[in-house]
Amino acid sequence: MAPEERRLREEVRAFLAENAPSPPDLPRSLDARIEALRGWQASCYRAGYVGRAWPREFGGGGRAPVEQIVVDQELAAAGAPEFVNVVGLDVLGPSLLRFGTEQQRQRHIPPILDAREIWCQGFSEPEAGSDLASLRTRAVERDGRFVLTGQKTWVSWGQFARWCGVLARTEDPGHGQPRHRGISMLIVDMNSPGVDVRPMTQITGHAEFCELFFDDVLVPEQNLLSNRGDGWKIAMYTLGHERGTAALPRQVKLRTWLDRLAFTLGDRALDGRALLDDPGAQVSLAQAMIGIEVLRYHAQRTVGEFLAGGAVGPDSSSVKLLMAEAEQRLAATAVELLGPAMEQADPAKQDEDAFWEETYLYSRAASVYGGTRQIQRNIIADRVLTLPQE
Amino acid sequence: MELELTEEQSWISESIDTLLSREWVTPQDVADASPERRRQTWTALVEFGSFGIKKDGEDGLGAVELCLIARSLGSHLASVPFLGSAAVRLALAPQARSLPAEIAALLSSHDPIGIALLEAGSGWTVERAGTRLVRGRDGLEIRGEKVAIEQLQAAGQLVVVATLDGAPALAMTPAGAAGLTRQRQRCFDETVPMETARFDAVPVPSAGVLGGPEARTVLRRLMTAGSLLAAAEAVGAAGHILDLACRYAGERRQFGRTIGSFQALRHILADAYVRQQSGWSAVRYAAAALDDGDPEAAQAASIAKAYVSRGAREVAHSAMQVFGGIAFTAEHPAHRFLRRIGVRAQQFGDAAHHERRLGRELAERVSQARAALSSPVLAEAFPA
Repeated sequence: MAPEERRLREEVRAFLAENAPSPPDLPRSLDARIEALRGWQASCYRAGYVGRAWPREFGGGGRAPVEQIVVDQELAAAGAPEFVNVVGLDVLGPSLLRFGTEQQRQRHIPPILDAREIWCQGFSEPEAGSDLASLRTRAVERDGRFVLTGQKTWVSWGQFARWCGVLARTEDPGHGQPRHRGISMLIVDMNSPGVDVRPMTQITGHAEFCELFFDDVLVPEQNLLSNRGDGWKIAMYTLGHERGTAALPRQVKLRTWLDRLAFTLGDRALDGRALLDDPGAQVSLAQAMIGIEVLRYHAQRTVGEFLAGGAVGPDSSSVKLLMAEAEQRLAATAVELLGPAMEQADPAKQDEDAFWEETYLYSRAASVYGGTRQIQRNIIADRVLTLPQE
Repeated sequence: MELELTEEQSWISESIDTLLSREWVTPQDVADASPERRRQTWTALVEFGSFGIKKDGEDGLGAVELCLIARSLGSHLASVPFLGSAAVRLALAPQARSLPAEIAALLSSHDPIGIALLEAGSGWTVERAGTRLVRGRDGLEIRGEKVAIEQLQAAGQLVVVATLDGAPALAMTPAGAAGLTRQRQRCFDETVPMETARFDAVPVPSAGVLGGPEARTVLRRLMTAGSLLAAAEAVGAAGHILDLACRYAGERRQFGRTIGSFQALRHILADAYVRQQSGWSAVRYAAAALDDGDPEAAQAASIAKAYVSRGAREVAHSAMQVFGGIAFTAEHPAHRFLRRIGVRAQQFGDAAHHERRLGRELAERVSQARAALSSPVLAEAFPA
């Protein structure tokens, strides 16, 4: 780590020690919680810790990308709450910066950074999950506007979002053409008439994501991102970006969770001694640790290429696979070691058992969201190993 | 930490590959390579400068460069006394100035070095060797028996891990010393020749003995360096068999299709690719940590060795599954890779050994942190 990165790390640590709310102290009701999280992101933005590498002209910090990674790792290590506008910061913000017009960037980037406006992404549909190119949401151009009709699902924070990046079909691909032709990306105002948002309860008991219904929603022409038909290209860019850069802070978080699990095992007994002193438990912890550390080594290597100016390539799929594997292994290890206590946890108590129950349940999504494990393998088989197409 | 290869490192990697393509045989022929061919390959490696190892404050090769060389050797299944020669020098280099004369001399020589480490029936916990250094009439003598000494027939010098007055010590002896009885031993990979050695009061001059706290430091570093070099070689071998399997999957036809178009095989190969690539990331990270004098280098090496020991084997198994029956014939090179990976997976500690160690250390760290939190001073600072 370079001296200036070390200095930044110290600075962030001091800021967090002074300012970071502890997650259990956040309000319990979802609305109040989101407000508190907006405030948290805004104060981090004022301190220079959000969009640190984004261009200065749009409110970013104009610093080297590695600095944001240093900041994100410290936030994760301190157990600070995650930024509520994660979709804007990790997914659609980078796409706006890369593909947006001057006017779109001026309008949208600053409120993404300070969480004044939360973003969501409308990609998946009930009939278009892994097979994203089969999406049916349509946008028909009429009188200088797009008329949007369709249904989206798995829309994280849709109920709090002001804007949604929607993939919609604007053209038929044409006979015999690949189906990802004719898909466009629209910036949709969630306050528009005809937008209906229905939160869905997840297996963790939270309602982080929603279904979206568009019923003849009018979208101004200038809200098209890049050109008609560029939607697929933009979606692949955003997903790759998310896979490529999110792994390092996630890895740090997994490492803190591993220590947390080990710490808890010091309190649990097995055959008259602490479970932490049991050789079998120690090996399980070591195996979880190996997965987490190798994720770091591999992500650093691939992110290194990205930071050196290269694109986030298909190797981000390797990182995604390792990330899901590490997270799921850690959670499964906790389940095995904590035993029945975890299954009898009372979520209201917010104790260690409840934490691991939620973490275990959530970990099952790690090999599904952002492109399933099987899709990542397909990407590697096609683009890295150049095996024959199916 | 810088994980990208420098231009010089990329050049080393490519040059070694070119050198081995020129000097060494194809994977099909490794078991039949003549002794002359082996010597010639070794000489070419030495002449290339493979042992210009960095000492205190000097320029030269470090762990990253030596792991790159080991990776190429694994990829080509070369049969040369590299692992011991490189591991011993990497272990000694930081102490170059304070070593006994004969041991220090290893650093300026290019002699192949063998390591006498394992003993029959003992595991990889090597700090309590049964082989002892005892005081004879004319000074110290080595007494004991060692097994699985790689490339002893090629080695000029032998570094023996022993105990002296109950503490770990290292002794150096010529491979042909009087009182040393050697016997060829079976090895899972016949291109990694192994021997046993019995030491019947083999005399060693005091300039050839390293004892005291320094011996423990060097021995630990030897295990770290050896783990990494063995892992690097396994990663190289795994990379090559995976390439062959991908090529085969792109050519072989069944059911009227190229078999690489079947998702069942595409996914096996994609997973193997991730395992092989991330294995190299782990080795490279740990090697850079060792070069930087990072206090966590030994832990990183254990992680890399545990991960690669399982992962490289997994890659070989996957590749063989893709080849199908043909990989079960002795003529096909698949088993050569499998065997090499199997041997490197064991050396300097298999996955289970390193996992036990990592788990124990993690538990100790956490127990100390817990104890610190329950100390009266801290309890006052952080009341419950």
